[in-house]
Amino acid sequence: MEARRDVFQAIADPTRRAILGLLAIQAMTPGAIAENFDSSRQTISKHIQILTECQLVAQEQRGREIYYYFNPQKLKEVADWVSQYQKYWDKKFDSLERYLARIQKKKR
Amino acid sequence: MDNYNSFKQEDNILIHTRLLDAPRELVWEVWTNPEHIKEWWGPDGFSLTTQSMTVAPGQTWDFIMHGMGRDWVNKIEYVEVIKPSLLSYKHSGEKNEDYNFTVSISFEEIGGKTLLTMKSIFKSKEIIDELNRKVNAIEGGKQTLNRLSSYLKTFPGNHS
Repeated sequence: MEARRDVFQAIADPTRRAILGLLAIQAMTPGAIAENFDSSRQTISKHIQILTECQLVAQEQRGREIYYYFNPQKLKEVADWVSQYQKYWDKKFDSLERYLARIQKKKR
Repeated sequence: MDNYNSFKQEDNILIHTRLLDAPRELVWEVWTNPEHIKEWWGPDGFSLTTQSMTVAPGQTWDFIMHGMGRDWVNKIEYVEVIKPSLLSYKHSGEKNEDYNFTVSISFEEIGGKTLLTMKSIFKSKEIIDELNRKVNAIEGGKQTLNRLSSYLKTFPGNHS
């Protein structure tokens, strides 16, 4: 099973939530973001990459610097708990169906 | 077939239905056997280790989900076990007990297939509204995103 880069997984990580918290206040360069954490710059840059991939964060070139800013629109994907719960179980039932198909095929 | 696959909210209950192309005994088996359940349960991209599973009323399923760089300890307590037609369990161990809920899954035979009905029963409709509000409050980045962590903890499979 491949790891999916959806908004939900992106925000499940505490460091990434903290990054979003910073960016919600102001746009920042990767260096400025990293200064707020003990982790290596490389680790933080990986987190930023994941946030960018799922579009929670977008980038903007300003002169020679790249600034990251928070994209609140994307958080609407986790709009309410019930729709998340529904989506979660829809996916699980899909996996269940696929698994049932697989094991029944094997038996035959 | 699609009308067998549905989702709705009735007051304090969320109801999912799904018609599965498999005999009921097999569907029961994949919900109650650790070797099967690890193949489909839990968030995508996670793996699962069962520490113990005793499918009987008052007994538990203790398991750990591995994903996103950490382990998530989980516990489910079975409430009703009527093989092969009804299984219900409680999610417990939430910091806020109000967020605990009971899940009841019924399996019905329909022409060699199995109609699964999953009911997630919350303490009240207000609790569901509260969960929705909490998540909505985060929209627009007005609130600190830390609130998301409590939301995530109430999510099945993500109990930390």
